[in-house]
Amino acid sequence: MDWYFWIFAVMALGGGLFTITYKDILPCAMGLLTVFIAMAALYLHLNAPLVAVFQVTIYAGAILVLVLFVVMLLMSPGEKIKKSQVNCSNRFMGAVLTVGLMIFLGIGTKGLSDMIGAKELPEKFGNPGQLGIVLVQKFILHFEVVSVLLLAALVGAIYLAKKRI
Amino acid sequence: MNEWTIAIIKVVFIWSWTLLIATIMTWVERRGSALIQDRLGPNIAGPFGLFQPLADGIKLFTKEEFAPKHAHKILFTLGPVLFAIQAFSAYAVIPFGDKIVINAKEIVLQVADVNIGFLFVLAVGSLAVYGFVVGGWGSNNKYSLLGGLRATAQLLSYEVPLGLAMLAVCMTYGSFSLREISLDQAGTFLGFLPNWGIFKQPLGFLVFIVAAYAEANRVPFDLPEAESELVAGYHTEYGGMRLGLYLFGEYVNLYTLSALMVTIYFGAWHIPYVDMSSYLGPLAYGIVSFLVFFLKCAFFLWLFVWVRWTIPRFRFDQLMGLGWKSLIPLGLLNLFVTAFLIQITV
Repeated sequence: MDWYFWIFAVMALGGGLFTITYKDILPCAMGLLTVFIAMAALYLHLNAPLVAVFQVTIYAGAILVLVLFVVMLLMSPGEKIKKSQVNCSNRFMGAVLTVGLMIFLGIGTKGLSDMIGAKELPEKFGNPGQLGIVLVQKFILHFEVVSVLLLAALVGAIYLAKKRI
Repeated sequence: MNEWTIAIIKVVFIWSWTLLIATIMTWVERRGSALIQDRLGPNIAGPFGLFQPLADGIKLFTKEEFAPKHAHKILFTLGPVLFAIQAFSAYAVIPFGDKIVINAKEIVLQVADVNIGFLFVLAVGSLAVYGFVVGGWGSNNKYSLLGGLRATAQLLSYEVPLGLAMLAVCMTYGSFSLREISLDQAGTFLGFLPNWGIFKQPLGFLVFIVAAYAEANRVPFDLPEAESELVAGYHTEYGGMRLGLYLFGEYVNLYTLSALMVTIYFGAWHIPYVDMSSYLGPLAYGIVSFLVFFLKCAFFLWLFVWVRWTIPRFRFDQLMGLGWKSLIPLGLLNLFVTAFLIQITV
Protein backbone atom coordinates (compact mmCIF):
# COMPACT_ATOMS: atom_id res chain seq x y z
CA MET A 1 0.00 0.00 0.00
CA ASP A 2 1.42 3.34 -1.04
CA TRP A 3 0.56 5.43 2.03
CA TYR A 4 2.26 8.56 0.76
CA PHE A 5 0.11 8.56 -2.36
CA TRP A 6 -3.13 7.83 -0.50
CA ILE A 7 -2.63 10.51 2.14
CA PHE A 8 -2.06 13.24 -0.41
CA ALA A 9 -4.63 11.94 -2.88
CA VAL A 10 -7.30 12.02 -0.18
CA MET A 11 -6.08 15.44 0.90
CA ALA A 12 -6.35 16.77 -2.67
CA LEU A 13 -9.82 15.32 -3.21
CA GLY A 14 -11.05 16.51 0.18
CA GLY A 15 -9.70 19.98 -0.46
CA GLY A 16 -11.37 20.04 -3.86
CA LEU A 17 -14.74 18.96 -2.48
CA PHE A 18 -14.49 21.56 0.27
CA THR A 19 -13.69 24.25 -2.30
CA ILE A 20 -16.78 23.61 -4.39
CA THR A 21 -19.26 22.99 -1.58
CA TYR A 22 -18.41 25.58 1.09
CA LYS A 23 -20.15 28.95 0.82
CA ASP A 24 -17.58 31.28 2.39
CA ILE A 25 -15.04 32.52 -0.13
CA LEU A 26 -11.75 32.65 1.76
CA PRO A 27 -11.98 29.19 3.35
CA CYS A 28 -12.73 27.97 -0.18
CA ALA A 29 -9.48 29.52 -1.34
CA MET A 30 -7.69 27.72 1.50
CA GLY A 31 -9.27 24.50 0.24
CA LEU A 32 -7.86 25.19 -3.22
CA LEU A 33 -4.47 25.91 -1.64
CA THR A 34 -4.62 22.48 0.02
CA VAL A 35 -5.29 20.92 -3.38
CA PHE A 36 -2.27 22.64 -4.92
CA ILE A 37 0.05 21.65 -2.08
CA ALA A 38 -1.18 18.05 -2.12
CA MET A 39 -0.64 17.93 -5.89
CA ALA A 40 2.89 19.25 -5.42
CA ALA A 41 3.54 16.50 -2.88
CA LEU A 42 2.29 13.92 -5.41
CA TYR A 43 4.61 15.33 -8.09
CA LEU A 44 7.49 14.93 -5.66
CA HIS A 45 6.46 11.32 -5.26
CA LEU A 46 6.67 10.90 -9.04
CA ASN A 47 10.33 12.05 -9.05
CA ALA A 48 9.45 15.43 -10.52
CA PRO A 49 10.71 17.95 -7.93
CA LEU A 50 10.89 20.77 -10.46
CA VAL A 51 7.24 20.39 -11.43
CA ALA A 52 6.33 20.23 -7.73
CA VAL A 53 8.16 23.46 -6.98
CA PHE A 54 6.59 25.23 -9.95
CA GLN A 55 3.19 23.95 -8.88
CA VAL A 56 3.63 25.71 -5.55
CA THR A 57 5.30 28.86 -6.90
CA ILE A 58 2.96 29.48 -9.79
CA TYR A 59 -0.40 28.02 -8.80
CA ALA A 60 -0.33 28.56 -5.04
CA GLY A 61 2.01 31.56 -4.99
CA ALA A 62 0.77 33.53 -7.99
CA ILE A 63 -2.50 32.44 -9.59
CA LEU A 64 -4.44 31.83 -6.39
CA VAL A 65 -3.06 35.07 -4.95
CA LEU A 66 -4.30 36.92 -8.02
CA VAL A 67 -7.74 35.34 -7.57
CA LEU A 68 -7.71 36.40 -3.91
CA PHE A 69 -6.75 39.92 -4.94
CA VAL A 70 -9.87 40.15 -7.08
CA VAL A 71 -11.98 38.54 -4.35
CA MET A 72 -10.77 41.08 -1.82
CA LEU A 73 -11.60 43.93 -4.18
CA LEU A 74 -15.12 42.68 -4.90
CA MET A 75 -16.32 41.07 -1.69
CA SER A 76 -16.16 41.79 2.00
CA PRO A 77 -15.55 39.37 4.88
CA GLY A 78 -18.67 37.64 6.14
CA GLU A 79 -20.39 37.83 2.75
CA LYS A 80 -21.68 34.44 1.60
CA ILE A 81 -21.61 33.30 -2.00
CA LYS A 82 -25.10 33.60 -3.47
CA LYS A 83 -26.73 30.34 -4.36
CA SER A 84 -27.24 30.08 -8.08
CA GLN A 85 -30.58 29.00 -9.47
CA VAL A 86 -31.11 25.30 -9.02
CA ASN A 87 -31.93 23.55 -12.24
CA CYS A 88 -32.45 19.86 -11.57
CA SER A 89 -32.13 18.58 -15.12
CA ASN A 90 -28.87 20.52 -15.63
CA ARG A 91 -27.47 19.12 -12.41
CA PHE A 92 -28.45 15.61 -13.40
CA MET A 93 -26.81 16.01 -16.82
CA GLY A 94 -23.69 17.35 -15.18
CA ALA A 95 -23.49 14.45 -12.75
CA VAL A 96 -23.95 11.85 -15.50
CA LEU A 97 -21.34 13.45 -17.74
CA THR A 98 -18.84 13.72 -14.87
CA VAL A 99 -19.25 10.10 -13.81
CA GLY A 100 -18.92 9.01 -17.44
CA LEU A 101 -15.78 11.08 -17.88
CA MET A 102 -14.29 9.67 -14.65
CA ILE A 103 -14.92 6.09 -15.83
CA PHE A 104 -13.37 6.83 -19.20
CA LEU A 105 -10.32 8.46 -17.60
CA GLY A 106 -9.91 5.60 -15.12
CA ILE A 107 -10.08 2.88 -17.76
CA GLY A 108 -7.90 4.89 -20.13
CA THR A 109 -5.17 5.37 -17.50
CA LYS A 110 -5.30 1.71 -16.54
CA GLY A 111 -5.05 0.64 -20.18
CA LEU A 112 -2.22 3.04 -20.84
CA SER A 113 -0.21 1.93 -17.81
CA ASP A 114 -0.70 -1.74 -18.82
CA MET A 115 0.46 -0.95 -22.33
CA ILE A 116 3.59 0.90 -21.20
CA GLY A 117 4.35 -1.31 -18.20
CA ALA A 118 6.80 -0.52 -15.43
CA LYS A 119 10.02 1.10 -16.61
CA GLU A 120 13.27 1.99 -14.92
CA LEU A 121 13.70 5.73 -14.56
CA PRO A 122 16.39 7.12 -16.84
CA GLU A 123 19.39 8.61 -15.07
CA LYS A 124 18.97 12.13 -13.66
CA PHE A 125 15.23 11.95 -14.28
CA GLY A 126 13.46 15.08 -13.08
CA ASN A 127 16.72 16.98 -12.76
CA PRO A 128 16.25 20.64 -13.81
CA GLY A 129 19.11 20.49 -16.32
CA GLN A 130 17.71 17.36 -17.92
CA LEU A 131 14.28 18.92 -18.17
CA GLY A 132 15.74 22.01 -19.82
CA ILE A 133 17.56 19.92 -22.41
CA VAL A 134 14.42 17.96 -23.25
CA LEU A 135 12.39 21.15 -23.45
CA VAL A 136 14.62 23.17 -25.77
CA GLN A 137 15.97 20.34 -27.89
CA LYS A 138 13.39 17.61 -28.32
CA PHE A 139 10.24 19.66 -27.78
CA ILE A 140 11.42 23.05 -29.05
CA LEU A 141 8.44 23.44 -31.41
CA HIS A 142 5.87 22.79 -28.67
CA PHE A 143 7.78 25.11 -26.39
CA GLU A 144 7.72 27.93 -28.92
CA VAL A 145 4.05 27.37 -29.76
CA VAL A 146 3.22 27.74 -26.09
CA SER A 147 5.22 30.96 -25.85
CA VAL A 148 3.41 32.39 -28.87
CA LEU A 149 0.10 31.45 -27.26
CA LEU A 150 1.10 33.22 -24.05
CA LEU A 151 2.23 36.27 -26.00
CA ALA A 152 -1.12 36.38 -27.80
CA ALA A 153 -2.93 36.15 -24.46
CA LEU A 154 -0.77 38.96 -23.10
CA VAL A 155 -1.47 41.24 -26.06
CA GLY A 156 -5.17 40.42 -25.85
CA ALA A 157 -5.30 41.21 -22.15
CA ILE A 158 -3.60 44.57 -22.66
CA TYR A 159 -5.95 45.37 -25.53
CA LEU A 160 -8.99 44.55 -23.43
CA ALA A 161 -7.76 46.50 -20.42
CA LYS A 162 -6.67 49.59 -22.32
CA LYS A 163 -9.12 50.63 -25.01
CA ARG A 164 -6.95 53.50 -26.22
CA ILE A 165 -3.34 52.50 -26.53
CA MET B 1 26.58 8.96 15.23
CA ASN B 2 24.49 7.73 12.35
CA GLU B 3 22.95 9.81 9.59
CA TRP B 4 19.65 10.26 11.39
CA THR B 5 21.16 11.68 14.55
CA ILE B 6 23.23 14.11 12.53
CA ALA B 7 20.21 15.22 10.51
CA ILE B 8 18.13 15.76 13.65
CA ILE B 9 20.92 17.69 15.36
CA LYS B 10 21.28 19.93 12.30
CA VAL B 11 17.56 20.60 12.12
CA VAL B 12 17.28 21.38 15.83
CA PHE B 13 20.40 23.53 15.75
CA ILE B 14 19.36 25.70 12.80
CA TRP B 15 15.80 25.94 14.10
CA SER B 16 16.85 27.22 17.52
CA TRP B 17 19.59 29.37 16.02
CA THR B 18 17.11 31.11 13.70
CA LEU B 19 14.73 31.68 16.60
CA LEU B 20 17.56 33.04 18.72
CA ILE B 21 18.60 35.45 15.96
CA ALA B 22 14.99 36.55 15.49
CA THR B 23 14.75 37.22 19.22
CA ILE B 24 17.95 39.21 19.30
CA MET B 25 16.85 41.10 16.20
CA THR B 26 13.90 42.61 18.10
CA TRP B 27 16.46 44.08 20.51
CA VAL B 28 18.79 45.17 17.69
CA GLU B 29 15.88 46.86 15.95
CA ARG B 30 14.92 48.87 19.01
CA ARG B 31 18.45 49.79 20.02
CA GLY B 32 19.29 50.53 16.38
CA SER B 33 16.35 52.85 15.96
CA ALA B 34 17.31 54.56 19.21
CA LEU B 35 20.89 54.98 17.99
CA ILE B 36 19.73 56.51 14.71
CA GLN B 37 17.17 58.78 16.39
CA ASP B 38 19.58 59.82 19.15
CA ARG B 39 17.66 58.12 21.96
CA LEU B 40 18.66 55.40 24.41
CA GLY B 41 16.20 52.63 23.65
CA PRO B 42 15.55 49.71 26.01
CA ASN B 43 18.48 49.70 28.43
CA ILE B 44 17.07 48.59 31.79
CA ALA B 45 16.63 44.81 31.55
CA GLY B 46 20.08 43.21 31.78
CA PRO B 47 23.33 44.48 30.25
CA PHE B 48 22.51 46.97 27.45
CA GLY B 49 18.87 45.91 27.80
CA LEU B 50 19.72 42.53 26.27
CA PHE B 51 17.03 40.75 28.28
CA GLN B 52 14.34 42.98 26.82
CA PRO B 53 13.28 40.34 24.20
CA LEU B 54 12.83 37.88 27.08
CA ALA B 55 10.53 40.28 28.89
CA ASP B 56 8.65 40.95 25.65
CA GLY B 57 8.24 37.22 25.10
CA ILE B 58 6.85 36.65 28.59
CA LYS B 59 4.45 39.51 28.10
CA LEU B 60 3.23 38.17 24.74
CA PHE B 61 2.82 34.63 26.07
CA THR B 62 0.87 35.63 29.15
CA LYS B 63 -1.45 38.04 27.40
CA GLU B 64 -5.07 37.07 26.91
CA GLU B 65 -5.78 35.43 23.54
CA PHE B 66 -8.43 37.84 22.42
CA ALA B 67 -10.38 37.71 19.16
CA PRO B 68 -12.83 40.44 18.15
CA LYS B 69 -16.50 39.54 18.04
CA HIS B 70 -16.93 39.83 14.29
CA ALA B 71 -13.74 38.03 13.36
CA HIS B 72 -13.85 34.70 11.58
CA LYS B 73 -12.50 32.58 14.45
CA ILE B 74 -10.75 29.86 12.43
CA LEU B 75 -9.18 32.17 9.86
CA PHE B 76 -8.15 34.58 12.60
CA THR B 77 -6.10 31.84 14.25
CA LEU B 78 -4.91 30.30 10.99
CA GLY B 79 -3.34 33.52 9.65
CA PRO B 80 -0.32 33.82 11.99
CA VAL B 81 0.19 30.05 11.89
CA LEU B 82 0.41 30.01 8.09
CA PHE B 83 2.82 32.93 8.16
CA ALA B 84 5.07 31.35 10.78
CA ILE B 85 5.16 27.94 9.09
CA GLN B 86 6.47 29.31 5.82
CA ALA B 87 8.95 31.57 7.60
CA PHE B 88 10.42 28.75 9.67
CA SER B 89 10.66 26.24 6.82
CA ALA B 90 12.44 28.37 4.22
CA TYR B 91 15.87 28.03 5.83
CA ALA B 92 15.96 24.26 5.21
CA VAL B 93 17.93 24.47 1.95
CA ILE B 94 20.24 27.40 2.70
CA PRO B 95 23.73 26.51 3.95
CA PHE B 96 25.08 27.97 7.19
CA GLY B 97 28.73 27.04 6.76
CA ASP B 98 30.94 24.77 4.70
CA LYS B 99 31.51 21.43 6.41
CA ILE B 100 32.78 20.17 9.71
CA VAL B 101 34.73 16.98 10.35
CA ILE B 102 34.08 15.14 13.61
CA ASN B 103 35.59 11.69 14.19
CA ALA B 104 36.59 11.46 10.53
CA LYS B 105 32.97 11.98 9.53
CA GLU B 106 32.24 14.83 7.17
CA ILE B 107 29.14 16.82 8.05
CA VAL B 108 27.84 19.38 5.57
CA LEU B 109 26.56 22.48 7.34
CA GLN B 110 23.21 22.56 5.57
CA VAL B 111 19.98 20.80 6.41
CA ALA B 112 19.19 19.59 2.90
CA ASP B 113 21.29 20.05 -0.22
CA VAL B 114 18.59 19.63 -2.85
CA ASN B 115 19.33 20.31 -6.49
CA ILE B 116 16.44 22.75 -6.77
CA GLY B 117 17.64 24.74 -3.74
CA PHE B 118 16.69 28.29 -4.52
CA LEU B 119 13.49 27.37 -6.30
CA PHE B 120 12.43 25.84 -3.00
CA VAL B 121 13.16 29.12 -1.21
CA LEU B 122 11.15 30.97 -3.86
CA ALA B 123 8.23 28.53 -3.60
CA VAL B 124 8.07 28.68 0.19
CA GLY B 125 8.54 32.46 0.14
CA SER B 126 5.63 32.83 -2.25
CA LEU B 127 3.33 31.32 0.38
CA ALA B 128 4.06 34.16 2.83
CA VAL B 129 1.22 36.18 1.38
CA TYR B 130 -1.39 33.75 2.76
CA GLY B 131 -0.49 34.74 6.29
CA PHE B 132 -1.35 38.36 5.46
CA VAL B 133 -4.46 37.59 3.44
CA VAL B 134 -5.97 35.09 5.87
CA GLY B 135 -5.18 37.27 8.89
CA GLY B 136 -6.48 40.41 7.19
CA TRP B 137 -9.67 38.79 5.96
CA GLY B 138 -10.26 36.85 9.18
CA SER B 139 -10.06 40.00 11.30
CA ASN B 140 -13.11 41.39 9.47
CA ASN B 141 -11.88 44.95 9.82
CA LYS B 142 -11.45 47.40 6.96
CA TYR B 143 -7.88 48.34 7.84
CA SER B 144 -6.90 44.69 8.09
CA LEU B 145 -8.62 43.93 4.81
CA LEU B 146 -6.83 46.80 3.07
CA GLY B 147 -3.54 45.57 4.51
CA GLY B 148 -4.20 42.08 3.16
CA LEU B 149 -5.21 43.51 -0.22
CA ARG B 150 -1.99 45.50 -0.45
CA ALA B 151 0.03 42.48 0.59
CA THR B 152 -1.35 40.38 -2.29
CA ALA B 153 -0.47 42.96 -4.93
CA GLN B 154 2.91 43.80 -3.44
CA LEU B 155 4.23 40.31 -2.78
CA LEU B 156 2.97 39.04 -6.11
CA SER B 157 4.69 41.86 -8.02
CA TYR B 158 8.03 41.64 -6.27
CA GLU B 159 8.35 37.89 -6.56
CA VAL B 160 9.02 38.31 -10.28
CA PRO B 161 12.16 40.53 -10.03
CA LEU B 162 13.40 38.38 -7.14
CA GLY B 163 13.09 35.28 -9.28
CA LEU B 164 14.67 36.97 -12.32
CA ALA B 165 17.69 38.10 -10.30
CA MET B 166 18.16 34.64 -8.82
CA LEU B 167 17.81 33.04 -12.23
CA ALA B 168 20.70 35.13 -13.57
CA VAL B 169 22.88 33.94 -10.67
CA CYS B 170 21.92 30.37 -11.41
CA MET B 171 22.96 30.85 -15.05
CA THR B 172 26.29 32.34 -13.99
CA TYR B 173 27.19 29.43 -11.73
CA GLY B 174 25.38 26.77 -13.75
CA SER B 175 23.54 25.23 -10.83
CA PHE B 176 20.32 25.48 -8.84
CA SER B 177 21.93 24.01 -5.74
CA LEU B 178 22.80 26.67 -3.19
CA ARG B 179 25.75 24.63 -1.91
CA GLU B 180 27.26 24.31 -5.37
CA ILE B 181 26.80 28.04 -5.94
CA SER B 182 28.58 28.71 -2.62
CA LEU B 183 31.46 26.36 -3.45
CA ASP B 184 31.91 28.01 -6.86
CA GLN B 185 32.56 31.39 -5.25
CA ALA B 186 36.02 30.48 -3.96
CA GLY B 187 39.08 32.06 -5.55
CA THR B 188 39.23 35.02 -7.89
CA PHE B 189 38.33 35.93 -11.45
CA LEU B 190 39.87 38.46 -13.88
CA GLY B 191 42.96 38.05 -11.70
CA PHE B 192 42.02 40.30 -8.80
CA LEU B 193 38.29 40.33 -7.98
CA PRO B 194 36.94 37.75 -5.52
CA ASN B 195 34.79 35.21 -7.33
CA TRP B 196 31.63 36.49 -5.65
CA GLY B 197 28.16 36.87 -7.07
CA ILE B 198 28.12 40.62 -6.42
CA PHE B 199 31.03 41.19 -8.82
CA LYS B 200 29.56 38.97 -11.49
CA GLN B 201 25.97 40.18 -11.06
CA PRO B 202 26.05 43.78 -9.78
CA LEU B 203 22.77 44.76 -11.47
CA GLY B 204 21.18 41.49 -10.39
CA PHE B 205 22.16 42.19 -6.80
CA LEU B 206 20.58 45.65 -6.93
CA VAL B 207 17.32 44.19 -8.23
CA PHE B 208 17.49 41.37 -5.69
CA ILE B 209 18.04 43.52 -2.64
CA VAL B 210 15.23 45.96 -3.50
CA ALA B 211 12.84 43.09 -4.20
CA ALA B 212 13.96 41.35 -1.01
CA TYR B 213 13.02 44.39 1.06
CA ALA B 214 9.58 44.39 -0.53
CA GLU B 215 9.17 40.64 -0.03
CA ALA B 216 10.16 40.92 3.62
CA ASN B 217 7.56 43.67 3.98
CA ARG B 218 10.09 46.11 5.44
CA VAL B 219 10.26 49.89 5.29
CA PRO B 220 10.40 51.54 2.73
CA PHE B 221 7.99 48.93 1.36
CA ASP B 222 5.91 48.02 4.42
CA LEU B 223 2.68 49.17 2.79
CA PRO B 224 0.57 46.27 4.13
CA GLU B 225 1.06 47.55 7.68
CA ALA B 226 1.69 51.25 7.05
CA GLU B 227 0.81 52.58 10.50
CA SER B 228 0.18 56.13 9.39
CA GLU B 229 -2.56 55.01 6.99
CA LEU B 230 -3.88 51.63 8.14
CA VAL B 231 -3.37 51.63 11.94
CA ALA B 232 -1.32 48.42 11.75
CA GLY B 233 -2.65 46.89 8.54
CA TYR B 234 -3.26 43.16 8.53
CA HIS B 235 -2.35 42.70 12.20
CA THR B 236 -4.47 45.54 13.59
CA GLU B 237 -6.69 43.17 15.57
CA TYR B 238 -3.94 40.89 16.79
CA GLY B 239 -2.43 40.73 20.24
CA GLY B 240 -0.60 38.26 22.41
CA MET B 241 1.34 35.43 20.85
CA ARG B 242 -0.66 35.59 17.63
CA LEU B 243 0.87 39.00 17.01
CA GLY B 244 4.12 37.54 18.29
CA LEU B 245 4.09 34.96 15.51
CA TYR B 246 3.71 37.68 12.88
CA LEU B 247 6.55 39.76 14.31
CA PHE B 248 8.74 36.72 14.84
CA GLY B 249 8.04 35.39 11.37
CA GLU B 250 9.09 38.72 9.91
CA TYR B 251 12.49 38.57 11.63
CA VAL B 252 12.98 34.95 10.64
CA ASN B 253 12.24 36.02 7.05
CA LEU B 254 14.86 38.75 7.36
CA TYR B 255 17.42 36.19 8.49
CA THR B 256 16.54 33.84 5.63
CA LEU B 257 16.82 36.62 3.06
CA SER B 258 20.13 37.82 4.52
CA ALA B 259 21.49 34.29 4.41
CA LEU B 260 20.29 33.95 0.83
CA MET B 261 22.00 37.21 -0.15
CA VAL B 262 25.23 36.08 1.49
CA THR B 263 25.01 32.68 -0.16
CA ILE B 264 24.44 33.80 -3.72
CA TYR B 265 26.09 37.24 -3.83
CA PHE B 266 28.66 37.50 -1.05
CA GLY B 267 30.71 34.35 -1.30
CA ALA B 268 28.92 32.40 1.44
CA TRP B 269 31.64 31.34 3.93
CA HIS B 270 34.63 32.37 1.77
CA ILE B 271 37.01 35.14 2.78
CA PRO B 272 38.49 36.88 -0.30
CA TYR B 273 42.08 35.92 -1.23
CA VAL B 274 42.38 33.57 1.76
CA ASP B 275 41.74 29.85 1.64
CA MET B 276 40.84 29.11 5.24
CA SER B 277 40.82 25.34 4.89
CA SER B 278 44.58 25.27 4.29
CA TYR B 279 45.37 27.06 7.58
CA LEU B 280 42.85 25.54 9.96
CA GLY B 281 42.18 22.05 11.20
CA PRO B 282 38.96 20.39 9.98
CA LEU B 283 37.01 21.08 13.17
CA ALA B 284 38.18 24.67 13.54
CA TYR B 285 37.51 25.25 9.83
CA GLY B 286 33.90 24.17 10.24
CA ILE B 287 33.34 26.53 13.14
CA VAL B 288 35.13 29.44 11.48
CA SER B 289 33.19 28.97 8.23
CA PHE B 290 29.97 29.12 10.23
CA LEU B 291 31.11 32.27 12.01
CA VAL B 292 32.22 33.99 8.79
CA PHE B 293 28.89 33.15 7.21
CA PHE B 294 27.02 34.46 10.20
CA LEU B 295 29.02 37.70 10.38
CA LYS B 296 28.14 38.45 6.78
CA CYS B 297 24.48 37.72 7.56
CA ALA B 298 24.69 39.99 10.59
CA PHE B 299 25.76 42.86 8.36
CA PHE B 300 22.69 42.42 6.16
CA LEU B 301 20.44 42.09 9.18
CA TRP B 302 21.82 45.40 10.41
CA LEU B 303 21.31 46.86 6.94
CA PHE B 304 17.61 45.99 7.18
CA VAL B 305 17.39 47.95 10.44
CA TRP B 306 19.51 50.78 9.14
CA VAL B 307 17.36 51.24 6.02
CA ARG B 308 14.15 50.99 8.03
CA TRP B 309 15.01 53.97 10.20
CA THR B 310 16.55 56.02 7.40
CA ILE B 311 14.26 55.93 4.38
CA PRO B 312 10.60 57.03 4.46
CA ARG B 313 7.80 54.83 3.17
CA PHE B 314 6.77 54.73 -0.50
CA ARG B 315 3.27 55.50 -1.71
CA PHE B 316 1.41 52.49 -3.06
CA ASP B 317 1.36 53.59 -6.72
CA GLN B 318 5.08 54.39 -6.48
CA LEU B 319 5.66 50.92 -5.10
CA MET B 320 3.82 49.25 -7.97
CA GLY B 321 5.52 51.53 -10.50
CA LEU B 322 8.95 50.68 -9.13
CA GLY B 323 8.19 46.98 -9.26
CA TRP B 324 6.70 46.73 -12.72
CA LYS B 325 8.36 49.59 -14.57
CA SER B 326 11.89 49.52 -13.15
CA LEU B 327 12.78 46.28 -11.42
CA ILE B 328 11.22 43.81 -13.85
CA PRO B 329 12.74 45.44 -16.99
CA LEU B 330 16.10 45.68 -15.18
CA GLY B 331 15.84 42.04 -14.15
CA LEU B 332 15.06 40.99 -17.72
CA LEU B 333 17.90 43.12 -19.07
CA ASN B 334 20.25 41.54 -16.56
CA LEU B 335 19.09 38.10 -17.64
CA PHE B 336 19.72 38.84 -21.32
CA VAL B 337 23.13 40.41 -20.70
CA THR B 338 24.12 37.42 -18.58
CA ALA B 339 22.99 34.98 -21.24
CA PHE B 340 24.86 36.97 -23.92
CA LEU B 341 28.07 37.06 -21.88
CA ILE B 342 27.87 33.34 -21.18
CA GLN B 343 27.38 32.71 -24.92
CA ILE B 344 30.40 34.70 -26.00
CA THR B 345 32.75 33.47 -23.27
CA VAL B 346 32.00 29.74 -23.40
